[in-house]
Amino acid sequence: MSDSPVSDSTLSASTAPGETASVRARPPRGLGLALLASELAILFRRTRTIAMLAALAAVPILIAVAVRVSSSGSSGRGPAFIDQITQNGLFVGVAGLILCIPLFLPLTVGVAAGDTIAGEASHGTLRYLLVAPAGRVRLLIVKFLGTVAFCIAAPLVVVLAGTVIGAILFPLGNVTLLSGDTVSISESLGRALLMSAYVSVSLIGLSAIGLFISTLTDTPVGAMAATIVISVAAQVVGSLDQLAWLHPWLFSYHWLGVVDMLRQPILWSSFGDNAILQLGYVIVFGALAYSRFVTKSILS
Amino acid sequence: MADRSLRRWLPAIVAPIVVIGGALAVPLTAGAAGVPPEKSAQEVLELVGSNEVTALSGTVVQTSELGLPDLSGALSGTGTGGDSASSALELLTGSHTARVYLDEAQGARVQILDSMAERDIIAGPDGVWFYDSSEDTATHLALPDDPTGSAGTDGSQSDATDTVPTPAALAEHFLDAIEPSTAVSVDNTSVVAGRSAYDLVLTPDSADTLIAAVTIAVDSETGLPLSVAVTAKGQSAAAFSVAFSDISFDTPDASLFSFTPPAGATVDEQLPHAYSLSTSANGEHDSHLGDLAKNVTVTGDAWASIVELPVGDLAAGASEESADPSGSASSLLDAATEKVDGGRVLSTSLLNVLLTDDGRILAGSVPVALLQAAAAD
Amino acid sequence: MTGNAGSNAFAPGALAIETHGLTKRFGSHLAVDSVDLAVPRGSVFGFLGPNGAGKTTTIRMLLGLVGATSGSISVLGQPMPASLASVLPRVGALVEGPAFYPFLSGAANLHRLDTADRSVDGATRSDRVAQALDRVGLGHAAGKKVKAYSLGMKQRLGLANALLAPRDLLVLDEPSNGLDPQGTREVRSLIRSLAADGTTVFVSSHLLAEIEQLCSHVAVMSSGRIVSQGTLDAVRDQDVSRIRVVTTDPVGALRVLADFGLEPSVATDESTADGDVRVVLAPVPATDPGHRTSGIQPEAIVAALVAAGVPVRGFTVEESSLEDRFVALTGEGFAIAEGHSVR
Ligand SMILES: Nc1ncnc2c1ncn2[C@@H]1O[C@H](COP(=O)(O)OP(=O)(O)O)[C@@H](O)[C@H]1O
Ligand SMILES: [Mg+2]
Repeated sequence: MSDSPVSDSTLSASTAPGETASVRARPPRGLGLALLASELAILFRRTRTIAMLAALAAVPILIAVAVRVSSSGSSGRGPAFIDQITQNGLFVGVAGLILCIPLFLPLTVGVAAGDTIAGEASHGTLRYLLVAPAGRVRLLIVKFLGTVAFCIAAPLVVVLAGTVIGAILFPLGNVTLLSGDTVSISESLGRALLMSAYVSVSLIGLSAIGLFISTLTDTPVGAMAATIVISVAAQVVGSLDQLAWLHPWLFSYHWLGVVDMLRQPILWSSFGDNAILQLGYVIVFGALAYSRFVTKSILS
Repeated sequence: MADRSLRRWLPAIVAPIVVIGGALAVPLTAGAAGVPPEKSAQEVLELVGSNEVTALSGTVVQTSELGLPDLSGALSGTGTGGDSASSALELLTGSHTARVYLDEAQGARVQILDSMAERDIIAGPDGVWFYDSSEDTATHLALPDDPTGSAGTDGSQSDATDTVPTPAALAEHFLDAIEPSTAVSVDNTSVVAGRSAYDLVLTPDSADTLIAAVTIAVDSETGLPLSVAVTAKGQSAAAFSVAFSDISFDTPDASLFSFTPPAGATVDEQLPHAYSLSTSANGEHDSHLGDLAKNVTVTGDAWASIVELPVGDLAAGASEESADPSGSASSLLDAATEKVDGGRVLSTSLLNVLLTDDGRILAGSVPVALLQAAAAD
Repeated sequence: MTGNAGSNAFAPGALAIETHGLTKRFGSHLAVDSVDLAVPRGSVFGFLGPNGAGKTTTIRMLLGLVGATSGSISVLGQPMPASLASVLPRVGALVEGPAFYPFLSGAANLHRLDTADRSVDGATRSDRVAQALDRVGLGHAAGKKVKAYSLGMKQRLGLANALLAPRDLLVLDEPSNGLDPQGTREVRSLIRSLAADGTTVFVSSHLLAEIEQLCSHVAVMSSGRIVSQGTLDAVRDQDVSRIRVVTTDPVGALRVLADFGLEPSVATDESTADGDVRVVLAPVPATDPGHRTSGIQPEAIVAALVAAGVPVRGFTVEESSLEDRFVALTGEGFAIAEGHSVR
C-alpha cells in the first residue's frame, strides 16, 4: 500500500501496520437529515424568527382591530378587501396577506435568507460545521430548505392569525370571489391556504437571491439589507413603464397574482407561471451560490 | 487547483444562460404542432365559415401599442373609473387579459382579469349579468325569450354560420366585397395558443391608409379565428392585437354560466331595450354613436375613409360623460393632442383624429395631412 | 513515539499529516510559505510559532477550510481536500478559538454540530454529547446558554466538540487560550490521555512550556516558514548545548577545544570581556539526540585546558531550553511576526 498511498482506500490507510489508530473510517449514514432537522429547530426556536412571525401575525390583527374600532358604517375608499372585512371575517387573513406582500414578507424573508451562510460565518460556527464535516453542498441545501420553510411559515402565520382574529371580531359567511361567485366557508379557507402557498412560492426566488448574497459576506446584516433592498428595487422597477420589457423577468412580477386564486375558476396558470419564474431564480442563484460557496475561503 | 475552482464556477455561468435561453426559446418552440396542408385564401375563408366550434374556454390577450400618450394619470385624475369613455380609452392602452368561456347550449362568460379586480359578463339561461368586483356592482339584463341566443355575445362567427348558407358562399361573398381595395393572401402558418393556424393577411391597396395589414390567424383544424392583429405602416410589431393565449374546446362547467349576485352587492335590474353593454370589452361602446351617426359624413374609400362630424355633438357627449367642474376633460384633451395647422390632432399609429379650430372632428386611418386636406375641402 | 519516531523517514501510511510545499498567499502577502510538515501517527505534535506565524492558516488548509495557493496535503494518508468527506469525520478540530451559537446551550451547540457529521449515529448523540461535556468538565454547565460562558468555558466546549466522536487525529489550535492554570493542566492531561489511546494530536501554540511538557514532536514556524522540525529533543538539542570558557588566553583555549573536535570561536560582543579576558564559545553538536553532551566529558575538557596552561577563569556547559531554541530560530521571541511580502 505504500506503493500508491494516494489511490489507496481509507481502510488500508487506517490499518497500516505499526500504528495505533483505533478509529475506522465511518461511511456516511443515510441522507443526514438530522442537520436539516437541527436547522429547522434552530431557525424556528430563535427569538428573532419568533419575533418576525409575531410581527407578521400582528398585521392582520391590527387591521381587524382598526377596522372594528373605526367601522361605524364605513364604506371608505381603500382596497376593496378592507371593505369586505366587516361583512366577513374570513377576509381578514387574505387582506393581511395582500398587505404584507410588498414589504413585510420580503423583509422577513430577506432577514432569514441573508442570515443563512453569513450568520454562521459571523458566529464562527461555519468553520465547525464544515470540519464536522457538513459538506458544503449539503449545508447550502439545508440552509436553502430552511429558508423555504420560513417562506412557507411566514404567509401561513399571516393567514391563520387573520382568519382567527376575523372569526373573533366579525361575522363569518360565504365568501364572494372576484368573479362575483360565492363559495362556502370551507372552500374559502382552502382558497386562503392556497393563497398562502402562492405567496410562499413567490418568495422562493428572493430566498435564493438572499442565499447567494449570504455566501458573499461574513456580515449577516449586510446580506439581509442587500436582499431587502433588492426586493424593493425589483418592485420599483416593476412599476416603471419605461422598463416594461424587464418586468416579466422580475421575481416580483407575479407577486400580486395571488388574487388570481380568488377568481372562479382558479387561474391556475398564474400559479404555474409564478412557480416557473421562481424556479428560474432558484436555478440561477442556486448555481451562483453553489459556485461561490464551494470555492469560498472560510476565514471567519 | 485553479482548474478545479474554474470548473466549480461553471454552474454559475451555465445556469443563467440555460435558464434565460430556455425562457426565450420556449415560446418559439411551443406547440410545434406540425405544419398543416397549404391552403389558398379562399379555402381558409371557407374553413372559417365552416367552423363549428360550439364550446370553448380560453384566455384572450389584447395588446395595444397605438403610441397613445400615457393618459393614466389624467384619467385617474378625473375619478370616473367606471364610465364608458375611460373604459374605452383604458382598453386602448396597454395589455388586457380575459378569460372566455363559451357553450352554445348554456351561454357565455367573459372575465376581464384586472389586477386585484375582475369584470365579468355572464350570458346564461337567466339573462345577462355584468359584475364589477372593484365596485361590487351587478347589473342584470333579463332576456325574456331565446336565452341561448345570448351566446352570440362572444362568438360572432357562430352568428355568421346561422345566417350564411354555406361557408364557401360566405368566403366568396367576403372576398368579392373586399377584393377591390384589399389583397387577401395566406402568408404562412403560425402557432397561436399552441395550435397551428393559417395567417390570413388582408393588405390594403391604398397608399393613403396608416394600416399596413390585418392578420387573422385561423385555426387549421376548426377554422376558428385565434388572433387578429393590426399592423401600422412602418412598424413591425402589431399596433393592436387580440389573440388567444390558450384555448381548449372542452365544454366548460355549466355552473360558470349561472350567476347569483353576491350578498351585499349593488344590483341594478335593467330592461333589455334600455341596456347597452357600454362597459363591455367588445361590441359597440357608445350609445351616443347612434345619434351622432346622423351628422356624420364619410369621404374617401375603404381603408382610407375619413369620418367627419361636427364637434358640437361630441363636446356635448363628453361633458355629459365626465362632468368636469375642474376642466379636467380639456386638460386631458390638451395632454393627448398636439397643435397642427388648422387645429389639434390626436395621433396614434393606426388612427388620426383632427379637431379643427372651426369645430369639426375628422378621423381616419390616414396621415394627418390627408385629414387637413379633407378639412380644407 | 516509539517505533517510527526513531527514524525521520516515515512510511507514507505512518504519517497523520503530511504536506509538501504548502503555500498560502493573501494578495501579495505570503502567510504560509512552502511548508513541509510530517506529523507521525501517534505523536503529540507541537506546532510552535509566534502570533501571526501562519499556524492557523496552515490548520485551515489542512482541514479544507481554505484552499492552498500551491502545495499538497495528505491527512490520515488521504489527499486533501479531495478526500475531505471521508477524512474529516476522523478528525476533531479546534480552529482559531471556539465558536458557538450564543443563544443555544452548550449541549444544544454540540448537538447541532454533531448533526452536521453524517457518519455518526444519531441515536447515540445525546450520550456522546454528555460524555464529551463531562470529559472537559462542563457537565454542570451543559444547559447554560453559551453567551453566559466564560472564555475558558467556551474553550472547553470547543474541546468537547472535537471529542464528540472517536477520532484518529485531533487538530487543536491554541487549546489552552483563555484557560486558567488549572484548566491548562486539565487540558494537558486530557491530551496525554488521548495520545495514550493512540490518537494523534496536532497542537498549535505559542506557549513554549506547554509544548515542551506535552509533545513528542515539534515544528517551529516563523513568518510562514518551518524553521525546525523533528522530535522534541532533536529540535531542542540541535547545536544548542555549548561550552563557555572565560580566559585571558583565547588562542590556547581555541586550540584545546579544537582538539576535542569542537568548533570554538571567540565571542565578539560579550559584555564580560574585560581587558585581556575573553569568552570562548564552542557549540556541542547533537550527534545523538537524547544524549545531550554527545559523549564529550566536560571534566576532560577542563583538565586538558589546565594541562595546556590555559588560565581558566570560568567554565560552563550551557544546557539549551526550547525557549532558547525558539528565540534563536524565530529571532523575534514573542513579538508578533508578520509574514514577509513577495513582489
Ligand atoms: N484573511 C486574511 N487575509 C489576509 N491576511 C491574513 C488573513 N488571515 C491571516 N492573515 C495573515 O496571515 C498571517 C498568518 O496568520 P495566522 O495563520 O492567523 O497566524 P497564527 O495562527 O500563527 O497566529 C498573518 O500575517 C495574518 O496577518
Ligand atoms: Mg492563530
